[in-house]
Amino acid sequence: MAGTPGELGAAGGRRGDGVGGSAPGGSGAPGVGAPGTDGTSSGSGGRDGAVADPQPAAPVVEGEPGGHPQRTQQPLLFASGLDVVYEPAGAPVVHAVRGVDLSIDPGEMVGLVGESGCGKSTLGYALTRLLRPPARITAGRVVFDGRDVTALDQGRLRTMRHRGFAVVLQSGMNALNPVRTIDGHFADVLRTHRRVRGAAARQVAEELLGHVELAPTVLDRFPHELSGGMRQRVVIALALALQPKLVVFDEPTTALDVLVQRAVMDTIARLQAEVGFSALVISHDLGLVLGTADRAWVMYAGRIVERRESAALAGAPLHPYSAALLACHGDPTADNVQLGGIPGSPPDLSVPPQGCSFAPRCWMKEPVCRNDPPERVIGTGTVACHLAPRKLVVPRALEATVLASTAGGMGVGQNSTDGTATYDGRAALSAGPGPGASDGPALSPGAAAAPDGAAWAVRRRRSLERVEPEALVLQDVVKQFRTARRTGGRAGGRADGAWPGVGRARSSTVRAVDGVSLSLEPGHAVGLVGASGSGKTTLGRMMAGMDRPSSGTIRLGGLRVETMRSRDLPRYWQRVQMVFQDPYAGLNPVHTVGYAIGRALRNHQRLRDDRLRSELHRLLEVVGLTPSGQFSAKLPHQLSGGQRQRVVIARALAAKPQVLVADEPVSMLDVSLRAGILRLLDELRRDTGVSLLYITHDLLSARLVTDHLLVLQKGRVVESGPTASVLRSPSHSYTKQLIEAIPVVA
Amino acid sequence: MRYALRRLPVLVVTLWAAITLNFVLPRMMPGTPADAALGKIAGQGPVTASQRRAIEVMLGVPHGSLLSQYWQYLKAIAEGNFGISYTYFPEPVSKVIGAALPWTLALVGTSTVLAFTTGALLGVLAAWRRGSRLDSVATVGCTFMTAFPYFWTALLLLYALGFVLGWFPIRGGYSSSVSPGWDWTFAASALRHSVLPAFTILISGLGGWLLGMRNNMMGVLGEDYVTFAEANGLPARTVALRYAARNAVLPSATAFGMALGMVVGGSLLTEVVFGYPGIGYLLYNAVVNEDYPLMQALFLVITVSVLLANFVVDLLYGFLDPRVRR
Ligand SMILES: Nc1ncnc2c1ncn2[C@@H]1O[C@H](COP(=O)(O)OP(=O)(O)O)[C@@H](O)[C@H]1O
Ligand code: SF4
Ligand SMILES: [Mg+2]
Repeated sequence: MAGTPGELGAAGGRRGDGVGGSAPGGSGAPGVGAPGTDGTSSGSGGRDGAVADPQPAAPVVEGEPGGHPQRTQQPLLFASGLDVVYEPAGAPVVHAVRGVDLSIDPGEMVGLVGESGCGKSTLGYALTRLLRPPARITAGRVVFDGRDVTALDQGRLRTMRHRGFAVVLQSGMNALNPVRTIDGHFADVLRTHRRVRGAAARQVAEELLGHVELAPTVLDRFPHELSGGMRQRVVIALALALQPKLVVFDEPTTALDVLVQRAVMDTIARLQAEVGFSALVISHDLGLVLGTADRAWVMYAGRIVERRESAALAGAPLHPYSAALLACHGDPTADNVQLGGIPGSPPDLSVPPQGCSFAPRCWMKEPVCRNDPPERVIGTGTVACHLAPRKLVVPRALEATVLASTAGGMGVGQNSTDGTATYDGRAALSAGPGPGASDGPALSPGAAAAPDGAAWAVRRRRSLERVEPEALVLQDVVKQFRTARRTGGRAGGRADGAWPGVGRARSSTVRAVDGVSLSLEPGHAVGLVGASGSGKTTLGRMMAGMDRPSSGTIRLGGLRVETMRSRDLPRYWQRVQMVFQDPYAGLNPVHTVGYAIGRALRNHQRLRDDRLRSELHRLLEVVGLTPSGQFSAKLPHQLSGGQRQRVVIARALAAKPQVLVADEPVSMLDVSLRAGILRLLDELRRDTGVSLLYITHDLLSARLVTDHLLVLQKGRVVESGPTASVLRSPSHSYTKQLIEAIPVVA
Repeated sequence: MRYALRRLPVLVVTLWAAITLNFVLPRMMPGTPADAALGKIAGQGPVTASQRRAIEVMLGVPHGSLLSQYWQYLKAIAEGNFGISYTYFPEPVSKVIGAALPWTLALVGTSTVLAFTTGALLGVLAAWRRGSRLDSVATVGCTFMTAFPYFWTALLLLYALGFVLGWFPIRGGYSSSVSPGWDWTFAASALRHSVLPAFTILISGLGGWLLGMRNNMMGVLGEDYVTFAEANGLPARTVALRYAARNAVLPSATAFGMALGMVVGGSLLTEVVFGYPGIGYLLYNAVVNEDYPLMQALFLVITVSVLLANFVVDLLYGFLDPRVRR
C-alpha cells in the first residue's frame, strides 16, 4: 500500500519552506479567499465575494484526517487509499487508480503529470465524483471540506458543486453545448446555483467573462463561433461561476495552439492567485506543470510515484520515471540541447503489477524491485522507489534516444546562409559529442553514436541506396482559399483573443501562404514553425504535391507541381512523401502493417514476392520495428502511438523518396515517445540523404532535427536562417513570442 | 430567414425536375398511355371533349411540338386539371385525390408524428436510465418489434382485436351507416376505424425511433459538454433534456423528415390491409386497374410531398442546429 499516514503528513507539511508566489502562507482556510477576492480589482464587485467566501470555523472532518500530524491547517481536500477500477462489459477489469493518498491545501496549485493512460483523468474525476460507469470507486475515500464526497448522493452532490469543486475539461473544445449560446450556458449555471436570472445573470456573466479577458459580446455566440482558446476561457469562466474552492483542470491546454496555450495558462495562474481557489492541474506536459504549480505529483500506472515541490522536482528528480520525463524537455535556445525518451510504454492496467510497475522500463532496477516499492519520505517530498534517494545517472540504454545538438556544431551552420554547412555540422555531431556538451543532469551526448541495445541500432550500419540528389525549390508560392463565413480557431492565422471579428467574417479570400520561397537541398532538413493557422500545413501539402499553389512555382528537378497533370502526380509522390500528424488516422484499421507497407512497395517500386518481402522487413528494421516478422503481422490497434508513427514513416520510405514532408509527426505522441521518432527522422536524413521538411510548432524538436528554420506568420516567412541562430537570437517579435511561450522548466 | 431563402432555390429546382419527369415518363412509355386510357374510359361511358383533351395533355398524344405540349401540361397542372379517372369514372382525378388526401394525412401523419415523439422520448429515458429495467425492456422489446414484419403486425392486430375480439372495425375509414360530415357520429366512427391502422404504424415505427434515439443519446452522454454540465451541478432534467437530448435529436431529425415525406405515399400496405380510403389505397387501385391518369397524378402528389417535407425538415434543422445556419 502506498503512503502511510506519516509519509503523507510529510508531503503536506512541506508548506513551511516558502512556496513562492501565490500561496498565502498557510494561514488557515478562512484567510485564503478573502484577500484574494479584494485583489480582483477589475470590476469584480458584483460577484458577491468571488470564489472563496469566508468559511465558518475550521471544517469538521469526519473521522481522522488521514494523518497530517505536522499540518498547521486542514487540507481542503484529501483522499486516502483511493482505488478506482473500470469494469467494462466483456473486457478485463482495469485498475486505473491504486491506493492513492493525497491532500490539497486551500489556495495551493498542484500539478499532476504522467504519460497518457496513467490514470490522471480517472483520479481527477474520482476526486470530483464525475466518474461514470463502467468506472467505480472500490476503496478509499475523498474528503472535501470536511465531507466524504464518495458517500454523497447525486442530489447532495449537486448542491455541493456550488462553492465546492469545479472541473475544466480537456481543452474545452467540446465542453460547451453546441446548440446553446454562451449566454445560455451561464444562465443555466447562475439560475441553478445563485438564483440569478435575466439581466442580473447577464451582468454576472459579463463580469465573469471579463475575468478571463473576453468581451461581453461573446455571450451571444454559439460555441462553434469561437476559437479554441476562447472556448477554453469560457469554460474557465463557467467554472468560476460556481465560486469553487477547488478547480480541477484536466489537460486544460492540450489541444490549443502554443501561443494560446501560454495565454490560457497565464490566465489560470492569475485567477488562481487573485481568487484564491485551490487548483489541481492535470497534464502530460511536465514542463507546463513545473512552470505553474507549487507542487507536482508524478503519476505512473495508477500510483503517485513522486510528489515534490516543483522547483525541487525540476532540479533533482528522485524517481527514475520523473527523471526520464524531465529529460524529454529542454530549452531550445540553450547551447547544448538534448532530448531523452523512455523506451516502452505504460503497463496494461488490467494486469496486476508484480513489484514496481515501472520496472520493465527502468534502467536502475534491482532484485528488490520485484517487491512493491513503499512510498518514502525524502526531504519535503515522497517517492515510491526502492533505490531512492540514489543519485540518478541516466544509463546507456536510454541514451539511445538522446538527440544532441551542440552550440559548437551549430557554429558552422551560422556562418552559412544555405544549409550545407549546418548539415556537415550535424554529421560531425552524430559521430561524437560536441565540445563542452555536458550540462544538465540527464543525458550524456556521447550516446548518440552508440545506441547499443536500442531497437534501431541494428540498422545504423546499413544504408539505403542513395537517390539522385535534386533540390525542391519554391518560388513565390501563394495559396488562396475562399473562406466560408465562419471563423473557427484556425482561420486566417488568428490564434486567440481579439474578439471583434468573431464568427462574422464575410466570405473572402484568405492567403494561407503568401509568397514563400525556399530551397530544400538534398540531405538537408528545413524546419517550418509557426502558430496554428500560420500556413504551415498548407505549404507542406503543396510541397508534397497534394495541393496546387495559386501562383508561384514548386520544382523538383524536372517536375513542376503547379502545372502537373493528375496522372503525373504518382511520379512526384514517388519522390516526395508526406508523414501526417495523426498516426491514428493514417492507417487503415483492418490492414496489417505488412499489408500497408507492402502495398506501398508494390505501387512505388513494383516489387513482388520475395523481393517485396525482404524489402518490407528491411524497412521495418530501418524504422526500428523489430523483430520485423512479428510487427508485419500486427494490426494498427495492436500498436502504440509511437509504433504507428514508425509504420507511417516506413510506408513513406517505401517509395524511396528524396524528400520527406513531416507535418507535426510527434505532436500527438506522448513526450516519452517523441525522441525516438525524431531520432529516426534525423538518422534517415543522414544515412539516406533524404531531405526533410519538418513542420512543427515545437521549437525544441525543430532545434534538434533541422539545420535551417523558417518562421511562418500569416502565410509569410517572417524570419529564416540556421536553426540555432534563429532560436538563440531571434530578430522578429513573433519568433520571440513563440520562444517565450515555451514553459520554462525550473 | 436568410437560411430559408438560401434553401429555396433547391426546392424550386427539385420540384421542377419532378414535374418535368412526370411529363417525360408517360411519353417515353411504349405505346401511347393516353390512347390506352381513353380507350378504357370509353368503355365506362361517354367522354366529353374537354375530358379527352385533359388526358391527352397530361399523358401525351402528340399534338404540336414538344415545347407546346410541355406548356399545356404545365398549365394543366397549375389548374389542377389531371383528367378523369377510369377507376372512379366519371370523377375527375383531382377530386378523387382531394377526397383521399385528408384521410391519409390525418391517419398516417398523426401516427407518424406520434411514433416519433413517443419513440424519441422513451429513447431518451432509456438512455438516461441506462442499465435500468426500463432500459432493458425497451431495448429488447423494440429490437423484437423492429424485426417483426410490418404487414404481420397489421394482420395480427386485425385478426386479434378486430376479428376475434371485435373491438374495432376491420375495414374502411368510417362505418357505412353514417354519412361523411362534420358531426360527432361521423368523427367517432372515423376515429374507431383509424385505431387499428394507426396502431400498426405506431408499433412498427416506434421501435426504430426509440432505438435510434437511445443510440444517439448514448453517444451524446459521453460528450464532454454533458460531463461538464453535470460537473457544474445542473439539475438532472436540464442535463438530460437541454444538453443531451437536444443534441441527440439532431441525427433523428433528418430521418424524421424522410419519414414525413413518406407519409403520403408510404402507407400503401396498411391502407390496403385495412381498406382505408387514403392515398395508398388509391394508388393500389390505380395500379391494379392500369388507371394511367390517376397514377400519374398520384406520383406527382407523392414526389411533391416528399420534397416539401424534406424542405420543411431542412428548415427545422437549421433552427435546431446553429452550426448549419449561416
Ligand atoms: N471507459 C473506460 N473503460 C475501460 N478502461 C478505461 C476507460 N477509461 C479509461 N480507461 C483506462 O483507465 C486507465 C487510465 O486512463 P486515464 O485516467 O484516462 O489516464 P490519463 O488521464 O492519465 O491519460 C487507462 O489504462 C485507460 O485505458
Ligand atoms: S523501484 Fe526499482 S524498478 Fe521501480 S523505479 Fe525504483 S529502481 Fe526502478
Ligand atoms: Mg487524461
